[in-house]
Amino acid sequence: MSVVAPAIDANPLREGLEQERVPDASCLVIFGASGDLTQRKLIPALYSLAHDGLLPAGQTIVGYARPDYTDDAFRMAMREACDKFARVRPVDDAVWDNFAKGLFYVKGEFAEPDGILRLNAKLKECDQTRGTGGRRIYYLAVPPNFFPVIAELLGREKMVTDPEQGGPFTRVIIEKPFGHDLASAKELNKVAVTTFRERQVFRIDHYLGKETVQNLLVLRFANGIFEPFWNRQYIDHVQVTVAESIGVEKRGPYFETAGISRDIIQNHMLQLVSLIGMEPPVAFEADAVRDEKVKVLRALREFPRGHEIDAAVRGQYTDGSVLGEKAIAYRKEVNVDPHSNVETYAALKIFVDNWRWADVPFYIRAGKRLPKRVTDISIHFRPAPYPLFNKLTNVTMQPNVLAIRIQPDEGISLKFDSKVPGPTVRTAPVTMEFRYATSFGAEPPEAYERLLLETMLGDSTLFARRDEVETAWAWLDPLLNAWGADPRGPELYPAGTWGPEAADRLIERDGRKWRRP
Amino acid sequence: MASAMTDIANADVRVDVNDIEKSLSELWRGQKDGDDAVTRAALWNVVAHTSTSEFHATASETLGRASASVPQRTIVVRSNPAAEAELSSWISANCHLIGDGKQVCSEEINLVAGGDRIHRVPPVVNALLIPDMPVAFWWLGDLPNEHEDYVELLLESADKLIVDSVHFDSPADLALVARIAEQTSTSPADLNWGRLEEWRAATASIFDPPDMRSRLSTIRRVRVIAGSSNHEFFGESIESLLYASWLSAQAGHNVESSGAVEGVAGTIDYTFERRYQSNDVGAISLVEISFEDGAVASIARDRERGVLVANVDGSVTVQSVTRTLNQRLDELIVRQLKRSEGDKVLRRVLPIALKLAKRVG
Ligand SMILES: NC(=O)c1ccc[n+]([C@@H]2O[C@H](COP(=O)([O-])OP(=O)(O)OC[C@H]3O[C@@H](n4cnc5c(N)ncnc54)[C@H](OP(=O)(O)O)[C@@H]3O)[C@@H](O)[C@H]2O)c1
Repeated sequence: MSVVAPAIDANPLREGLEQERVPDASCLVIFGASGDLTQRKLIPALYSLAHDGLLPAGQTIVGYARPDYTDDAFRMAMREACDKFARVRPVDDAVWDNFAKGLFYVKGEFAEPDGILRLNAKLKECDQTRGTGGRRIYYLAVPPNFFPVIAELLGREKMVTDPEQGGPFTRVIIEKPFGHDLASAKELNKVAVTTFRERQVFRIDHYLGKETVQNLLVLRFANGIFEPFWNRQYIDHVQVTVAESIGVEKRGPYFETAGISRDIIQNHMLQLVSLIGMEPPVAFEADAVRDEKVKVLRALREFPRGHEIDAAVRGQYTDGSVLGEKAIAYRKEVNVDPHSNVETYAALKIFVDNWRWADVPFYIRAGKRLPKRVTDISIHFRPAPYPLFNKLTNVTMQPNVLAIRIQPDEGISLKFDSKVPGPTVRTAPVTMEFRYATSFGAEPPEAYERLLLETMLGDSTLFARRDEVETAWAWLDPLLNAWGADPRGPELYPAGTWGPEAADRLIERDGRKWRRP
Repeated sequence: MASAMTDIANADVRVDVNDIEKSLSELWRGQKDGDDAVTRAALWNVVAHTSTSEFHATASETLGRASASVPQRTIVVRSNPAAEAELSSWISANCHLIGDGKQVCSEEINLVAGGDRIHRVPPVVNALLIPDMPVAFWWLGDLPNEHEDYVELLLESADKLIVDSVHFDSPADLALVARIAEQTSTSPADLNWGRLEEWRAATASIFDPPDMRSRLSTIRRVRVIAGSSNHEFFGESIESLLYASWLSAQAGHNVESSGAVEGVAGTIDYTFERRYQSNDVGAISLVEISFEDGAVASIARDRERGVLVANVDGSVTVQSVTRTLNQRLDELIVRQLKRSEGDKVLRRVLPIALKLAKRVG
């Protein structure tokens, strides 16, 4: 009997393993390797991937920044970061030792051609010693204004190759903010595509790396029962809340230029709205999924010209207390203008103008210094068409609510009415709950772990595409401009409350209420 | 209610066999809606079948621990046709803190049957399964070759049959599992196969680099060394056997019924060696894979550091380090329960293992 050699594009020994997909070893360069993001998120996430056996032998990480580290000093600093921030602690020495062998450091300024040349030499050396085969991933953990400089130097030094041109892959990961408004986002994207092709660009929105956000797609499209109800015929309205209990902490300077709308609404929140609102994609593939998401963004109803601010509320926290602890006003925070009009809270009533969602309001709100940290989506269904039991009980029946908790205590619950045991027909709302922690126990991986792995595997489904980013800005810009021109500034709310009163009026004038998440 | 549950947690309450379900719901009555300090949860029905009190205790303790990761309705059966006729039952709850003072509880039902009463076990167990929830059947000890009707009835509703082939005393047991895989809708799961996961991952890591993948078809020799006790017991060699069968299956080798293995490059020489070891009997400690060009890949357990280290001499491929997994019984069971789907690879491997079994003493 003749034996046929198996196809060698995938490793057949990985079939059925927990680590079914392991990427080809590459050099991952972190620009800004001495920064906060690298220490708190990136290196701990990479170590966790190594711990779980998801990194290939030979995976190499090269840090690039200004401080004077040797490779060993960099490894020590990164070990400390993992000791503090890795998901799986204590750090496993054997895994760490092997992981650290693939950690290197090159000192340099972003705009320094010699530095980039030194970096290139190091990368080529790693190709020889670690089998990385010219494959590159550049992670720009840097302030966005450095992106053009770095991209240009990489292009100039021929450090970008593409399999379509017969070379190994190069990918680039960029961090939010993707611009400040439509014009700057377009500018940034233009720079990106001069050096890279769109499919080489991975724009991180870490919300998309969260298990529960991905579960939105599974909930909607792996279950037959939800889709028939997922439309204007059955849904009365949708609420999305992204609440943080913390203030701006050390990020005052950044927040002063961004505000909650640029920091949360333009990206994370609109991603959530797209996932709730999208049509079923033809495949679970990068472009198929993102095509459907961007259609939702394109269908967002424009703010009424000249009355943009009527559909929205902005607020800013003043002195108060959160979870029993005193909290100072935004304007008293470090590096914040004492007369700042930047919004730390925003609530919007928005519409997705298409067949599925016509006239179904989406009430979305995001804020800092709210009573607790929670991200929550709730789908509020229309009431039963005929109130059969109200006459008997004098109690108003509660509409059904499907609540999807993104963080913390991730889970899904469905509220419905039930008969209270007894001889009379009395009803009461009850909830049916699914909780990740209860059903699946283990801590889910960090968003950055998933996103780094997906980049290494070259799958951009969980990353924002250029048109998504630009469409979101195009929609939000008029409101931001109107707010910028409005001398009244944001309405103040005491820290530790659910935002300004105007936000309550925004929803209550429609006969609805914010859900207490 | 939290306190009521805590009271029952891990304490046994004797109940009448006919009232088990009612007694369980009494456990929960009184917990007010919205009072979420205690949650009853189940992702699986897990039925453990034992024949001795020793195995019964192991099953109860193991599944109690496993329920922290995979909440389940646990049913532990001890059934012994040679014992005095009896049928008794008790219930308890396995509660685990999940933070914020919240607890998740899994229900545990114990059934003890002796003499001719064992025939009541299958219908009682079937009636106790939570509907619409998958059923895993964990058979502790050697597989039965008698009381066929009884076993068949018990397994009728099983989606997964979990065995531990380290206890198998002959290839006939392996054949029985292979037959179940082939002829029924029950997926077999073998804890011994689970122990191999780290060896599979470490071996796979050798072939991850694109230029190493083509080497799979140039394997000429495979040497597997495992721990052995002083007495020759078939179960001890199964881990090595499954490993070799897996490598052959995935590399596309052809295994003859005589146990001879042919690859693209010709005959592949498999050798199974045993080295005396007082613990971890049957566990692989070293694998060497030799290629046509003379290069040798080796995977060795570094017990102290808790890793498997894979190396290929004469290649740029850097050393790969695979963390070894916790091999406690409950962890092995949890890993099986975390996969709801059947294991295609194991199904492929079992018939090959039966052929290769002819090569081990
Ligand atoms: N931190 C987070 O959690 C987070 C979350 C989401 C998005 N982001 C985004 O990620 C990016 C990085 O954030 P970060 O918090 O890590 O910032 P950061 O702590 O300020 O770090 C910036 C890094 O860039 C380096 N750098 C700055 N100018 C340089 C130059 N001219 N030449 C060479 N290196 C230079 C810094 O090196 P020195 O040590 O020499 O200054 C440092 O390593 C930003 O775009 C941010 O918006 C961060």
